[in-house]
Amino acid sequence: MFARLVAYVRGLAGRRRISAEVDDELRFHIDQEIEAHMSRGVSPVEARRMALRDLGGLTPVTQAVHEVRTIWLDLLWRDARHAVRSLRRTPAFTSVALAVLTLSIGATTAIFSVVDAVILRGLPFPESDRLVAVGEFNVKDSSPASMNLAAPQNFLDWRDQQDVFTGLAAVGYAEIGLRRQGDVLPENLRAQRVTADFFSVLRTQPVLGRGFASDDEVDRGGRVAVISYALWQRRFGGSPDVIGARLPGQLASFEVVGVMPPGFSYPVDTYVLGVREPVDVWLPYIFSDADRVRGNIYGYNLHVIGRLRDGVSIERAQARMNQITANLAAETPRWFTDRAIKVVPLRELVTRGVSRWMIMLLAAVSFVLLIACVNLANLMLVRATHRIRELGIRSALGASRWDLSRVLLLESIILSLTGAALGAAVAWWGVDVLRSMIPAGVPRAATIAVDLRVLATTGILAVVTGVAFGMAPVVKFSRPTVARVLNQAERSSTASRRTTVLRSGLVVAEVALAVVLLVGSGLFLASFARLMNVNLGLDRDNVLTIQVRVLELPPDIQQAAQRNRQLLMNVLGRVRALPGVEIASLTGGGLPLRGDLRTVDFGIPGRDLPRNTDIALNQISADYFRALKVPLLKGRVFADTDSQNSEPVVILNQAAAARYFPGEDAVGRVVRLAGNRTVVGVVGDIRQDGPESGWRTQAFVPIAQSRVFGATLVIRTASRAEGILPAVRQAIWSEFPDSLPTRIDEHSLSYYFDALVAERRFNMMLLALFGVLGLCISSVGIYGVMAYVVSQRTQEIGIRMALGALPSTILRSVLGSAALTMMVGLAIGLIGAWGLSGLVRAFLFEVQPRDPMVYAAVVLVLSIAGLAAAFGPARRASSVDPLIALRME
Amino acid sequence: MPKTDLLQGTLDLLILKILTLGPNHGWGIANRIRQISRDGLNASQGSLYPALHRLELSGDVKSKMTSSENNRRARIYTLTPAGRRRLDSETASWDQFALSMKRILQAG
Repeated sequence: MFARLVAYVRGLAGRRRISAEVDDELRFHIDQEIEAHMSRGVSPVEARRMALRDLGGLTPVTQAVHEVRTIWLDLLWRDARHAVRSLRRTPAFTSVALAVLTLSIGATTAIFSVVDAVILRGLPFPESDRLVAVGEFNVKDSSPASMNLAAPQNFLDWRDQQDVFTGLAAVGYAEIGLRRQGDVLPENLRAQRVTADFFSVLRTQPVLGRGFASDDEVDRGGRVAVISYALWQRRFGGSPDVIGARLPGQLASFEVVGVMPPGFSYPVDTYVLGVREPVDVWLPYIFSDADRVRGNIYGYNLHVIGRLRDGVSIERAQARMNQITANLAAETPRWFTDRAIKVVPLRELVTRGVSRWMIMLLAAVSFVLLIACVNLANLMLVRATHRIRELGIRSALGASRWDLSRVLLLESIILSLTGAALGAAVAWWGVDVLRSMIPAGVPRAATIAVDLRVLATTGILAVVTGVAFGMAPVVKFSRPTVARVLNQAERSSTASRRTTVLRSGLVVAEVALAVVLLVGSGLFLASFARLMNVNLGLDRDNVLTIQVRVLELPPDIQQAAQRNRQLLMNVLGRVRALPGVEIASLTGGGLPLRGDLRTVDFGIPGRDLPRNTDIALNQISADYFRALKVPLLKGRVFADTDSQNSEPVVILNQAAAARYFPGEDAVGRVVRLAGNRTVVGVVGDIRQDGPESGWRTQAFVPIAQSRVFGATLVIRTASRAEGILPAVRQAIWSEFPDSLPTRIDEHSLSYYFDALVAERRFNMMLLALFGVLGLCISSVGIYGVMAYVVSQRTQEIGIRMALGALPSTILRSVLGSAALTMMVGLAIGLIGAWGLSGLVRAFLFEVQPRDPMVYAAVVLVLSIAGLAAAFGPARRASSVDPLIALRME
Repeated sequence: MPKTDLLQGTLDLLILKILTLGPNHGWGIANRIRQISRDGLNASQGSLYPALHRLELSGDVKSKMTSSENNRRARIYTLTPAGRRRLDSETASWDQFALSMKRILQAG
């Protein structure tokens, strides 16, 4: 059978090639024949004549062979048309099967493509498997924050002493604020400081100009920069004159020496490098005297990467670096307390943290795929059983097993391929959607595209399932059993016990898989719902925040602070007058949700607090609480009368008041933070670090009573916050003079919030999508089986009704058998989910993996979906007309 | 001895039988038929090639183009397991048929 299948497929593929080879084949025959005749003494001319005569002429034989091939093609065409007709005769089956195939292939391919791009595929650099990250980590602290960083002097020591890498390079954070140029307002560019070997370690050179050399690492006054392809297009219009052009930074002007190819970026996004958006500028790392000091624990802000020399294993590199570290430790022992060096593949660093998450998504998607396959198998079996009679008759009329299977095979292939094609379309669309949904910070998100290998894998899986189960009935048609099968089909009033058990088994499996999947979805949904319902203590909607930083510290600090505050107050005045602005306020740092935090020592005169007691400090203008809608619980908020010359005042949040003045009234008390201050009010708590963090003790002082070099404008707007951004920018730049290097960062407060919950939102949406997908597919499966069972039992039902059974009895009996199957599936699924749920614990927020509400909801949803799916067939059963039912046989 | 034309359908059987001896090309098969039957049977060479291609399409034999000596390209046919099974079952029915024919002819 298999050999026939192969020949069948090969005949399809190779017909053009073969037709050209027939000529060769016949020519060979003639030549051999001539030779044989000649060896018996026949003349060459006569030998050729005899050979051609025996063959019957070259042309007729060639034609005859072609005819064999063509007739066979006609047969195939006939089979295919027959298969399509037969699929169209059962539109319900065909469309359901196609829907299942489309959804499952599409969804799985899209997800597999994402996983493949983020985890499995190599980094987008030549020979990227030789790239490693070298860094120190604290042996007592295993958190990612302690890992794989280096201080500048570490790097210099390593670079000088190592002999296992072709090059070692360091990357650090930088940013550039471009000056105003005519009408073009200042712009912030993301930048990275890199050492000379950076580009050569990654084996990527500029498309234009040059990279950096080691003398660029020395400060010679003139600054150089390599820019991204995108910046080249945006700011220089792609002009080749860009080399040698100036990039007017606010603190220094840079000469452009190179342009990188499109899409080039250092692949690791971490908080150390501060990169969430594409990097536009690379600057040479200039090592200052302060950098060249061993033991600077605040200097750990570099990533170090290297490329292994040929033949050097990662273990050998690790051993060598250990040795170097040991030598250094002997020289300066204290520096190396608790610190060890580690060499890891760069790819590992890139995918650290996301791989577990991706694997969970893969698991979810495999569940969808499994459900789909089980379902497809089920549908195919149902269809096959329906056709046993047709096949039996054709077999009795002389069709061979091969003839029968050919039609079934073609049907399965046509169905599966159509489904796979539709699935591919869905995958393409799905990848686009996923790419736009994916949280910032997922490595290499921009490189995600439908992976053809992945598409092929899922497609083949679907085709194999379809074909395997589509061909199942053929097994029944080995010749001797035809009569028996036909007999059975004749008495089809009761289904054969074995097929019923098999089909019920498939439904049970489907329901059980769906339970596990839905419990997973439910847990993520519940987590996200809890997260969104967390009371942040403020209203984040319609709030625009603009951080204004003055970059230069003049010699007279007091005077500069005075001037800056005045400038900020002037801006505030202008902003307040803008249409669409409801409340405008200022905070000198400590904006919630942005990851800002500044703490100061805290004390209470006359009381002994533990040493090192501190409190988060914000310097705010009077309207700050109103702008964020933070409730005032006691006392008053600041007023314009709280000035430099009036009594120093402070407002505490509830957490601080309750902690330091439990059971007392905090208002009127004196506390010590940056001098003694009187508490004038208590406000509600704010979740400073986002919904997943707890409360902090916080103190607020008037901005007028503190020294401020920069601040953040916090503006509540009437409608969408970003709408007033251009006007606010204009207001800032009309106050701040060009001569004062100033940088602004603008985002709405919801932007920061969304960034905090982006990953959970993405997880939740995907899992919910999978859940819905699984639910739909398994409902279809239940429907298919119930419809089949009912049609099998039509005669039996007819007899029962003729004997006086009520339609409602029939309805109950059909629904009852569906419910029984469902219950078995639910029970198995619940056990499975109970066991597996612990695996997702790390991804949940304030939801237990065995949250009974989630399990109950899943059972409810699945039961309703299952019974709804069974209801249609059951209704049909109860409306069976006994006469028609009995006449059917 | 006069030459007998091959009965319809027996050519396939002969080809399969010859291929049990090992892979062979079209001319080789034609030659074998001549030798085995001591020139008593003569497969019309014109019908041999369509038959070979038909057998290939139904999966009974498979073929491969090779370059033989003198740079001539021959197509070598090999029996597949499916072809071997078909040979076995058709040999059995052929025996049955021949036996029946013999009985009928002798009965007269």
